[in-house]
Amino acid sequence: MRFGRLLGLGLLLSWQLARGEPLKYEFLLLPSAEFVGTFARHSPDTQIHDDAIQADILLTLQQGPLKVFGEYLVSDHEGDLERLQLGWQLSDDTVIWAGRFHEPGSVWNHDHHHGQYLQTSITRPAIEEWEDLGGVLPQHFTGVLIESGANVLNGRRLRMAVGGGIAPQITADGLEAFDLLHPDTDTRHQLGFQGRVSLHPNEFSESGGGLLLADDELTTVGLTQPTLARLDHVHLRLFGLFATYAQSNWKLTATIYAADSRMYYATHGHDDSFFVGYFQGEYRFAYDLTGFARWEDSVGASSSGYLQLFDRFARARQVVGMRWDFVHRQALTVQFARSHTLEGRYSDIRLQWSAAFF
Amino acid sequence: MSIRRLIWVILVGLLALSANAGPRTLVLVVRADSKVVDLDSLGVRKLFLGLPVLVNGSPLHPVRNRSDADLDPIFLQQIVAMSQSAYERQTLIGVNRQGWLRPTEASSVAEVLKDLYADPNAVSFMWQSDVEHNPRIRVIRVLWGD
Repeated sequence: MRFGRLLGLGLLLSWQLARGEPLKYEFLLLPSAEFVGTFARHSPDTQIHDDAIQADILLTLQQGPLKVFGEYLVSDHEGDLERLQLGWQLSDDTVIWAGRFHEPGSVWNHDHHHGQYLQTSITRPAIEEWEDLGGVLPQHFTGVLIESGANVLNGRRLRMAVGGGIAPQITADGLEAFDLLHPDTDTRHQLGFQGRVSLHPNEFSESGGGLLLADDELTTVGLTQPTLARLDHVHLRLFGLFATYAQSNWKLTATIYAADSRMYYATHGHDDSFFVGYFQGEYRFAYDLTGFARWEDSVGASSSGYLQLFDRFARARQVVGMRWDFVHRQALTVQFARSHTLEGRYSDIRLQWSAAFF
Repeated sequence: MSIRRLIWVILVGLLALSANAGPRTLVLVVRADSKVVDLDSLGVRKLFLGLPVLVNGSPLHPVRNRSDADLDPIFLQQIVAMSQSAYERQTLIGVNRQGWLRPTEASSVAEVLKDLYADPNAVSFMWQSDVEHNPRIRVIRVLWGD
């Protein structure tokens, strides 16, 4: 609870400094409902916890330069505080946050977070999946995040983010992020650090490209498999490149991650590396229809000792679908996907309704 | 009434009407004692897209004036330079990614003035004719004129 007390103290101090400024707020509700059908199964496991119904709730409170920003996700199987950030807007371009945040080293999640309405496809790429849905990379950290930007090279925009904090740990059920609301007493969490830098044609453009770095210490807790019983922790280093090109009717996104992991057993260490990438194209047709296709692939995934910890991980996947924004701030999406996991393959078809209300 | 007299009456009536309408000018406005001295077009665009714009360390609060249907196309074309759907999406993305605040929307001139009177950091836009004799409001710059 030490971090919680520190956050409370920071909030109190910041509030004192911002006194006299009007209190402003913003509320956003992003509900969605989804139907999933799996077929052509040649894999012992497919998806875990496919959310049928969920509501992503975002709330911002702002008084002067002080901000409190929270995201709470309620679904038919869980309720999680996904983000809780206390922020101080230092200037037009720079904000410093303390709390639980999504790591800036994840290209997809840094852009889309949990709300389904704001992403075109129903599912996210396997490499960007959340920890509690079988994800293989850390996504939630509790610590400090600094986001900044600067105009460079004749009006081009440089965006930067650096973060550091308590990293998830590896359990028998997969990665488990530090829970602010229910801090675990039997915890061995270590620290992780991430950075992201990108260059854009101007301040308002979605197009751009950049690179990211992450360095995380992931401790293990309660692994039961005999081969993993003596695994103490994993040192995971990540390097990524990404680019987006967006026009009025179409958008292309490409991302590639190179990961190096060192697994520390009681008696020895084991090194491995793997590459994972994806490419997504979207085209907006007439009648508010948007077609999309995504290709995900990997190199070295099947032989990676680290990825063997996550046997549902899709090492390759092809996704195709169509979204229809049928009324104001509501969309219907149909998506077909073919996934190749480390243990087999399966196909699925999904139908989703998503919306944004405020 | 002779035809010649009727024509004169119509002409005078039309002249009076056109003098009443006059050229319209849209201006950026703040409370008279606001610390905002100037905002360039990039700053105005950022502000109404929900991005943080600070003056003396305090963020400004944009108020979108929707009191007149003629204001919407000018706002979209001249101030934020995007379609209504793109604008909505952009502001939603800002809330989702950064916890930015969307601009407050005011549906009448009285509501815009109320917001400006209540908050020295509020910034809005109005027809010049609505504010030119108001000592509590200061014009920062002209945004558009026909």
